[in-house]
Amino acid sequence: MDSLAHLMAGFSAAMTPAYLTYALIGCIFGTLIGVLPGLGPAAGTAILIPITFKLDPTGAIIMLAAIYYGAMYGGTITSVLLNVPGEAASVITCLDGHQMAKQGRGGTALGIAAIGSFVGGLFATVALVLVAPPLAKFALTFGPPEYFALMVFGLCLVSGLAGKSLAAAMVMTAFGLIISLIGIDPVRGAPRFTFSVPELYDGLGVVPVVMGLFGIAEILITAEQRSRDMIRTSFKGLFPSRAEWRRSWGAIARGTGIGFFLGLIPGIGAIVPTFMSYIVEKRVSKTPEEFGNGAIEGVAGPETANNAYANAAMVPFLTLGIPSSPTIAVLMGAFIINGLTPGPFLFQERPDLVWTVIASFFIGNVMLLVLNLPLVGLWAKILEVPFKYLAVGVLLFCIMGAYSLKQSPFDVWVMLGFGVLGYLFRKVNLPVAPLVLGLILGPAIETSLRTSLEMSAGDFGILAERPLCLGLLIASALVLAASALSLAPRALREGEAEV
Amino acid sequence: MKTLFNRMLAATGALLLAGTAAAQDFPSRQVELMVAYPAGGSTDIGARIVASVAEKIMGQPMVVVNKGGAGGQVGWTDMASRKSDGYFIGYINLPATNTVILDPERKASFGIDAFTPIINQVLDPGLVWVRADSPYKSFKDLMEAAKKQPGTIRAATTGILSDDHLAILMAEEAVPGATFRLVHLKGGAEQFKEIMAGNVDVAFDNVGSVVNRIRSGEARGLIVMDTERSKFLPDVETTVELGYKTVVSNSTRGIAGPAGIPAPVVAKLADILGKAMADPDHIKKMEGAGLALKIMKGDEYKKYYAATHARAKQLMDWAKSRPQ
Amino acid sequence: MQGGLSYTREFTAGFTASLCVFFLVMAFVSYGYALQDSLGPGPGFFPFWLGLLGAAISATLVVQSWRGLLVLEGEESKWPDRTGAIRTIVLLAGIAIAAAILEPLGFRITAFAFTVTMLLALGVRRLVIIVVFGLVSGFGLFHVFYYWLKVPLPIGAMGL
Repeated sequence: MDSLAHLMAGFSAAMTPAYLTYALIGCIFGTLIGVLPGLGPAAGTAILIPITFKLDPTGAIIMLAAIYYGAMYGGTITSVLLNVPGEAASVITCLDGHQMAKQGRGGTALGIAAIGSFVGGLFATVALVLVAPPLAKFALTFGPPEYFALMVFGLCLVSGLAGKSLAAAMVMTAFGLIISLIGIDPVRGAPRFTFSVPELYDGLGVVPVVMGLFGIAEILITAEQRSRDMIRTSFKGLFPSRAEWRRSWGAIARGTGIGFFLGLIPGIGAIVPTFMSYIVEKRVSKTPEEFGNGAIEGVAGPETANNAYANAAMVPFLTLGIPSSPTIAVLMGAFIINGLTPGPFLFQERPDLVWTVIASFFIGNVMLLVLNLPLVGLWAKILEVPFKYLAVGVLLFCIMGAYSLKQSPFDVWVMLGFGVLGYLFRKVNLPVAPLVLGLILGPAIETSLRTSLEMSAGDFGILAERPLCLGLLIASALVLAASALSLAPRALREGEAEV
Repeated sequence: MKTLFNRMLAATGALLLAGTAAAQDFPSRQVELMVAYPAGGSTDIGARIVASVAEKIMGQPMVVVNKGGAGGQVGWTDMASRKSDGYFIGYINLPATNTVILDPERKASFGIDAFTPIINQVLDPGLVWVRADSPYKSFKDLMEAAKKQPGTIRAATTGILSDDHLAILMAEEAVPGATFRLVHLKGGAEQFKEIMAGNVDVAFDNVGSVVNRIRSGEARGLIVMDTERSKFLPDVETTVELGYKTVVSNSTRGIAGPAGIPAPVVAKLADILGKAMADPDHIKKMEGAGLALKIMKGDEYKKYYAATHARAKQLMDWAKSRPQ
Repeated sequence: MQGGLSYTREFTAGFTASLCVFFLVMAFVSYGYALQDSLGPGPGFFPFWLGLLGAAISATLVVQSWRGLLVLEGEESKWPDRTGAIRTIVLLAGIAIAAAILEPLGFRITAFAFTVTMLLALGVRRLVIIVVFGLVSGFGLFHVFYYWLKVPLPIGAMGL
């Protein structure tokens, strides 16, 4: 148990007042950054890199990692309270979290998210400590063909998001997939569907699109109502009922597993574990129709999965030096600026540093819980601000956030356009979550297929020769068949239904 | 006696004074330094290091702005359209900027004259590397194998038409009959992962991205594509010393501005940035990150820019002329 | 609510029909990109088939909605009354104008103008609150983000 000894040493090193302060500042800053829509963990971490220049390497990394986790929770806060996802991963939390907030249970949603995140993060870090090197090997088994198969599998799960109409979910997925292809293609490097608009060369940004579809649309829908019912956040509303606790624990356990395993695969993206957790919870729930209307598992599961994923993503980062997300890439930049290269070399050369950082992950998780849980009631009170002030503030922040992504007003236009679209989608009851899934998975699917074919010089057989890839593709086919079968009787009934 | 001539003289004098006054004032507020790639990459790292030093020298903040996407095209398109007052400058990456301009499919809205080169920071030589247990022990082994089995060895680049892609073309040009199976990945981290996983056989990248992996023993550097050995990898041979004189490839990262920045402002910027790059703190941090400095200012940089463009064009034309 | 129901039905059918047209247009444009490539699917392959698939499924949605099967229950399906509609349109116009003037006029002016006009449009009448809000959002926010956090926000022609 060499690792345990190292970890203990790491803890004693991390518990100095200075490092604890950095972790605390990081958590607070991170949460504030996460609360600002559009700014997101990547931008926030990048902004704060110069500050970390003034600290020693260990301190800098501790602070940046704390900012990263804090920002993720901050994104949850705006998703639940305002239906504004700060980044793609927070989208799922909007679905049930915001509904809970509208019912006056925003505090509960935030609380269970904090607890779930803590549990997920803790387990993931413990597992990281115990089995990091063998896990790293697991990460390597995923090459481009496996990514392709995994993304296809994720796409097939969209049927789990379908409400009453599978066709509606499929159309929205197709819509998301097709607009995701706007931009420079991975095949020839030539622009597609850009119609000579240079800002489109990189495609529609995911962040402005989801900010529009969820945040702006929500404000528009609320604005047109005669009067918004005052949302009363009662003190009782802060705590989940006993039944809700029971349901949540299952979701938290499953979310931890899903998030952790997917986090080991470098570059998957946080949206896949959160979507998967949501779909799994909907499937195993005895009350699936509650989902979309404030089911607590719909918040507990995905939030846990999200944080377990984020902590597990540290495995490929620390052991192999492979960043799984733009934010971790920024963290890696911070390592490199300080003269450190993450990878097995670092584990051997500077175990003191690596284990101190890992110990501070534990500390950061605890700190976030301690910081946020008591504040949950305070955050929830935001919804009691009259709409006329709240809306203007939120809109201003959204405009600023969308602009600051690439210093471009174009992203504000995209956000506006998708705000209108999101509003219209809600009027006709077309589900928006499948659109986001398509938007994110589209480029990944096409690029990984293309890279696989480059590896095999055009031979599609490569997909069948690799067992993991083949297995995932077969699983996808099975999932599709199963959903078609289970929804077919309903579809037939839909055809006969009278309104 | 206000003749026309005198008036013109006065006007010219005023303009010159204003120009130099502007240069003397410059900068009077924050300067934005654009990087055409997402945060965390090696260009970004170099930018942040130099910005942190330059700020102190010029007394105004220098803010790094990431405008990534489309292999840099988004950022460069934006910079080409900015005001030429010197407050917005950014990195151009050669030969990536050149290939974006030269590739007709890309439909770039800017040309070679869209930028004012100011000063170059990094020259990162091309490197060919494999996993430590690979059967290829030298560049000669690799090229012979590529000749024996053309189109089967999987060679990874960090992007379509990146300097790595051009490097492979150079190698194929130098050894007729040798061809690789090109696998275009997105960046150095993905390359590293696929090499370790065995999904590709050899990687063409740059010294800065790989040096620490070679030091740790996970990777083996086969050859450096430069005229002299890299001080970070003194044991790795160079293409030129082995006789492949045409295979010289690298990625340079330098700072430029939109076309039309007044000469005094350019000089001031070059001066500030030059001092920043000579600063020992800057040098130390860059070395720690494995980034080799090659500072080129003014005309030297302009000439280098044009030369890189010409070589990129020649390679791209040659590649197109080959039977596919 | 007979009249209201059929209004929604026509709108839904019309909207899904426009979706169908969108997919067809995308498929048409993709046909112009190569469908095949030396290694497999070309740049036009996926968008072409997605376009056709999307058009087909949205066509079934048009039929379903015409028969009244895609109707919402609850608050959101109702169309807004006049004041509600005006509020919504004003908010949209506000965002659009803000996007347009953001770079020419700079963040501070845009944020101030946006805040003041939106507050007025939403019915706030206390001048003090409006002005304070406006100043805080325009100048206060700018100071925090531009100077402290180094987030590049636009400075317009007038130096603001």
